[in-house]
Amino acid sequence: MDSPLLPEGVKRCSTTTFLFWTLPWLALLAWGGLSAFLCLWKGLNQTNMSNVFAFALWIVFDLAIIALGAGAFFTGFLTYIIGKGELKNVINAAVIIGFICYSGAMGMLGIDIGQPIRGWFIFWHANIHSMLVEVSFCITCYLMVLGIEFIPLILRNRQLDKIRGLHIFGHSLHEIMAVFAATGTFLSFFHQGSLGGMFGVLYARPFAARDGFYIWPWTFFLFILSAIAAGPCFTILCTKLTEKITRKKLVPDNAIQLLAKISAWLLSIYLVLKIADTLGWIYGVVPRAGLKFIDFYREGPYGIWLVVCEIVIFGIIPAIILLIPKARRHQGWLITACLLNCTGIVLNRFVFIIVTLAIPVMPFDRFWSYLPTWQEWGIAMAVIGYGFLLFSTAYRYLPVFPQERELNPATE
Amino acid sequence: MEINRRHFIALLVGGAAGINATPLPWKFTDDIAIWTQNWPWVPVPPTGEFSHVKSVCTLCPGGCGIEVRKVDDRAVKIEGRTDYPVNPGGICPLGMGGLQLLYNESIRFTGPMKRVGPRGSGKFIAITWDEAINTIADRISDLRKQERPEALAAIDGNPTMGTMASMIERLLRAVGSPNYERIPSAEDTYRMTNLVMQGTEGPMAYDLENADYILSFGSGLLEGWGAPGRVINAWGLWQEHTAKRKARVVQIESRASNTASKADQWLAPKPGTEAALALGLAHVIIKEHLHNADFVDAYSFGFNNWASPDGKNHMGYKTMVLNSYSPDQVAEITGLQPKDIVALARDFAGAKAPVATCGKGKGYLNGSLYEFMAVQGLNALVGNINMPGGVLVCDPPPLSPLPEIQKDTIAREGLKKSRLDHAGTRRYPFSKSLIGDFAKTIIKSPKSPVNTLLVFSANPDFTLPDGGAFREALKKVPFIVSFSPYQDETSYMADLILPDHTYLEKMDDVVWPTGLQYPLYGISKPVVKPVYATRNSGDVIMQLAKRIGGSVGSSFPWKKYDDVLKERAKGLFDTQAGLVHYDGSVPAWKRLRDRGSVTPDYKNFDDMWKKIKAGGFWYLPVHAYKNWDRLFKTPTGKFEFFSTRIELAFDDYALLKNMGIAEKGDAACMPHFEPALSGADRSAYPLLMLPYEMINLASGWTPPPPFLNKTIFDNQLRKNESFAEINPKTASKYGLKEGDRVTIKSPQGTVRVCVNLFEGAMPGIVYLPLGFGHTAYDEFSRGKGVNPNDIIHMGKDPLSGHPVWWNTPVQLIKV
Amino acid sequence: MEQQKGGIYRYGMVIDLDKCTGCGTCMIACAAENNVSVRPDQTDKERTITWMKLYKITNGKEFPHTEVSYFPRPCMHCDEDGRGHHQPSCVSVCVATATKIDHNTGIVSQIYTRCIGCRYCQAACPYGARYFNWWDTYFPKGKGLERYLSPEISPRMRGVVEKCTFCHHRLMRAKTQAYAEDRTDIEEHEYTTACAEACPAQAITFGDLNNPEHKVSQLIKSPYAFRLLERLNTKPKVYYLSTKDWVRKMADNYLPGEFKPVTKVTG
Repeated sequence: MDSPLLPEGVKRCSTTTFLFWTLPWLALLAWGGLSAFLCLWKGLNQTNMSNVFAFALWIVFDLAIIALGAGAFFTGFLTYIIGKGELKNVINAAVIIGFICYSGAMGMLGIDIGQPIRGWFIFWHANIHSMLVEVSFCITCYLMVLGIEFIPLILRNRQLDKIRGLHIFGHSLHEIMAVFAATGTFLSFFHQGSLGGMFGVLYARPFAARDGFYIWPWTFFLFILSAIAAGPCFTILCTKLTEKITRKKLVPDNAIQLLAKISAWLLSIYLVLKIADTLGWIYGVVPRAGLKFIDFYREGPYGIWLVVCEIVIFGIIPAIILLIPKARRHQGWLITACLLNCTGIVLNRFVFIIVTLAIPVMPFDRFWSYLPTWQEWGIAMAVIGYGFLLFSTAYRYLPVFPQERELNPATE
Repeated sequence: MEINRRHFIALLVGGAAGINATPLPWKFTDDIAIWTQNWPWVPVPPTGEFSHVKSVCTLCPGGCGIEVRKVDDRAVKIEGRTDYPVNPGGICPLGMGGLQLLYNESIRFTGPMKRVGPRGSGKFIAITWDEAINTIADRISDLRKQERPEALAAIDGNPTMGTMASMIERLLRAVGSPNYERIPSAEDTYRMTNLVMQGTEGPMAYDLENADYILSFGSGLLEGWGAPGRVINAWGLWQEHTAKRKARVVQIESRASNTASKADQWLAPKPGTEAALALGLAHVIIKEHLHNADFVDAYSFGFNNWASPDGKNHMGYKTMVLNSYSPDQVAEITGLQPKDIVALARDFAGAKAPVATCGKGKGYLNGSLYEFMAVQGLNALVGNINMPGGVLVCDPPPLSPLPEIQKDTIAREGLKKSRLDHAGTRRYPFSKSLIGDFAKTIIKSPKSPVNTLLVFSANPDFTLPDGGAFREALKKVPFIVSFSPYQDETSYMADLILPDHTYLEKMDDVVWPTGLQYPLYGISKPVVKPVYATRNSGDVIMQLAKRIGGSVGSSFPWKKYDDVLKERAKGLFDTQAGLVHYDGSVPAWKRLRDRGSVTPDYKNFDDMWKKIKAGGFWYLPVHAYKNWDRLFKTPTGKFEFFSTRIELAFDDYALLKNMGIAEKGDAACMPHFEPALSGADRSAYPLLMLPYEMINLASGWTPPPPFLNKTIFDNQLRKNESFAEINPKTASKYGLKEGDRVTIKSPQGTVRVCVNLFEGAMPGIVYLPLGFGHTAYDEFSRGKGVNPNDIIHMGKDPLSGHPVWWNTPVQLIKV
Repeated sequence: MEQQKGGIYRYGMVIDLDKCTGCGTCMIACAAENNVSVRPDQTDKERTITWMKLYKITNGKEFPHTEVSYFPRPCMHCDEDGRGHHQPSCVSVCVATATKIDHNTGIVSQIYTRCIGCRYCQAACPYGARYFNWWDTYFPKGKGLERYLSPEISPRMRGVVEKCTFCHHRLMRAKTQAYAEDRTDIEEHEYTTACAEACPAQAITFGDLNNPEHKVSQLIKSPYAFRLLERLNTKPKVYYLSTKDWVRKMADNYLPGEFKPVTKVTG
């Protein structure tokens, strides 16, 4: 039915099948829509956030998907700036994933703040000392850049491409993509950093506070590194998942392997620095506050196991797997490593947000626990639904994977 | 031109782009942001002219000075006064939240009402004042026609010495009913203590500020005892780091209350054994000759063994104490260490100005008479009766008596009938009113002997520690009239509501705030115009009396209640003393300490009355100390360790058993210790439940202002469940953890609460806070927590007949 | 004790914990003065608003040696270094400049109509002194409770953060009065907070820490004076006094051997 819209020379499922496929994601969106309505209409009392857990599930989700979406800018950087040609085969997918992650995060933030209608005060009454202002500026600008990066791909839809004006516009845009890739890299670099900085600057919360370089706490750099180490892995996971679902090979192995290799090295560097940072924290920030490392892990479910998991199981292990060429060429190990790596970054963000807030700072204050409400899950799940929906729609109607035709010659 | 899809899209895109080129989106963005800053559903308090009105808080008998900030006609904030003698600037949390009582329509009656739903449902419809007053007047007239005026009864929670109380009692006497019941409080026990040991009628007056050693037998000095604004200020003075001699506070209590925790020393005897401890201290003091021999030898009676004129030998206090209350014996009774008892006795007797106080918790509930006597005995032993920093013996407030009550034959006959509670009879010779027995009589009678019950400033349904007995009695009374301004539990049981003004809307007097060591007369005056169609109950009583007519009407010769206040206040002028201005730099306690004299700062009565109405008070900060030779009005003219009044009250020792006294000999006339008998099978109820009071939880008649909820910790109330404080050791015996739900069962009933493990709770005792568990009022307090009064197994205090509420046997059942 | 720096005035508070009886009047005076919303359920302590909050602490000993004490905790009005390098932890993170420290008075303000409700300041504050309005202010129609609202402070809409302002409107009131009387300076007694004024034990003292005449500046010289979490370099302007070691120790974290009990008291 929608065949005129499909890219040329590739096979797509029937419209009905596609519609069925979208149903669960639409359901998630509906759940999210209801949740968003309730939160905007009645206020944030619909959540289980509190004055203790001022940041909660949504911020964890935001930070996690922004970190995972880092594959977009970093792949763009490698493709257009460094000139790694083989990555042209994944760059479209990376851009779409990035777009989904960033726009999803922005949407969630819009609900997360108490006065969404006044959200623009961040720009109007900006406080230059606030890391969150830096984050907001960079994310907003970068989302626009992602949009621009996304446009040429949209214009390459079979029907839109036929319009001469649009074709020329899309093509010219594509030609100067390096400029946007550079802009995107710059912006992303700073907001990933300032997201880390957000927590490192909390000098009155010894669990999160970090020393640093000039105005940037170490978490600033660690967040950048961890994001660019995990982002490519997430891109790999997404393409692998698409390949699995479409039962097609979409991206040549060399592109995947290159991403995996780069990820491996970045992850390794990150881990060295993360361990150094942790030691610096244990012997610097913590005793200065009159505390011992173990003091943070006495109450609630949060124990030393968090540190072990974050650094060893979700850090060192995937780094080793990805560093060994033989291992990363093995489909199963590659996916395992990517999963571990991505889990690691989510855990890292979780620790910096939830554990930081859960651990009482005043000696006589007590430990609080938090469980999200269905409304909170609804919003978070809607982002997942939105991601699947946008990605599969893009895949269906746009030439996302340039090599798809070559890798899957028509058999009919 | 043909319009096709392409044109349409172009129009849309172009239009969108065009709008963005105009200022419209920017303007809109700005406008909706401004809208969020002015949401119509967020109230904007109207501004106006600011003014301040000075008055006196009457939410508790403490009577602190308050200054209310107003904006036009609205009261917006209550603050403490610095130009009032009782409280130098501070007030208690309850008083601070008073405006939420004035302005909360859902807990107030907006005018006279009659009940339409079943009792307790809180369904009323508005009627006119005429109809309301006529209804009661007709009922009372009917009772008088039937020659049973005694079937009218009143329950009064107004302060004893205030004019309102005298008006209510006056109404009953004029009608011809002896059944004027009061809400029992520690004041009753103080009065009896003073009467039997000193023969005096004045209030118990502790000179706390000038004391240097405060031995408190369970007095909740920080829980709202006495006049909280004054007592807590005294506490601040005791803690002054710069003070030359820091006062020492010792708290005797079984639980680590705020007072116990903040005190310099905390001793925890088993609850109900405080009298034994006091006598144990007396033992050490006497044995070590630490007592004040000047006082004891010359101005006390019954210290040594003595012989009566008939030649009979009697045991003296000294012998009794030395024989029966050695540190070891007392340690056995109280569970304390003998060495602690000895040390405490030495400290107390060694202090320059020691004072021992009694009256548990806030003093809203009665105490045990023998225990109070034992504590007062300590003050006497160290000779600190009527001495600076001790217990002052004061005359009753110098108010003019009201004219004789007119009584017709019906009234005279009615007053001859015995009281339903037997107070003042040979059984309870010193009690004036026993509401527990009043309820019991109603419950036991096949038909309620009370036909019409008037309730003033009281919520006995909720506040009486009687296991719900009073509620049962209320159910049997055919007609109940409530004068409460608030929709409390008792008014929910009423058939007719004649709402009084709240304390911020009416003129009333505050006579001698509880525990104050000098006479003070305060006037609380209308801070705002009455918010609703309510009437001052004092005026309503007069209107009612006039409507009944005859001698009843002529017993109330005044036009309005304010005239009565003025008439009584004449007595103040007659003293030719006292002050109506207060200088904060010379607090009353300093004036007392420095023994200065005062020259009245008013010219004539009218000038005085004008100044009292403006400033709100008259006070007399002078005291004639010592005066031991003329002080005591006992039959012997001395301070009586052996109370001859008690001895005179029964000619036959066999009567003792009737009075609930276990002691059989001379000791019955002296302070002594008797274990409270619950009569319950302790094997089925192995633990004890003790209610406790908190200053930030209204446990009396006054409804709790919602602000108080902010100060309640979430291990005291969570959602709608209140908590019992239990020692971790006791809890572990029952396998209970923090937050577990548990049923507390007493012979009287059960309540369900959560467990709060508290190291400061005595093992074996379950502590429940008083003030939760309202079934009336609004969503701020209704249905929150449980009321321990519901399961209290009320015993009877020997001699006074008042309830013993500190001895409820319970068991715990994990839910 | 470190001397306060900054502008001309440094308003601060001294709370004597020996005098504090835990009665909660300060909390109520604060809520009543500042139009703080009271919802029917105030047991949800994570979401109720208590600019002045009372913490109950115990010495952890077994019966009958248990002791309870209280920490009244207003906003600490953490100080700046005056050079813009160090700001209160909440001020530096606020995205919309909705919370600022006044260089002249040291008071940390909060502008409700500018706050966007991102709650980053709550994450930054170690004292939990900042409160988010999870609901609109609670004054249901027909109850009439809005009649006690003070016009000096605007009730807050949902979605914004609020906190103790040291009763800033009272400073404005005092200033207006002083200007009307042709004065530029205000006296010590002319500006005090609602909590300090209401405390029945006179445990709270308020004044200018920079002014040696003011009682607060004398009280903070006591060897028993301390601040909450001083080691975190938050520079609070709220001081506490306690003669009890266990209470003082509870105010900060100490590695073994770091806590020094007061042994020598002069004066």
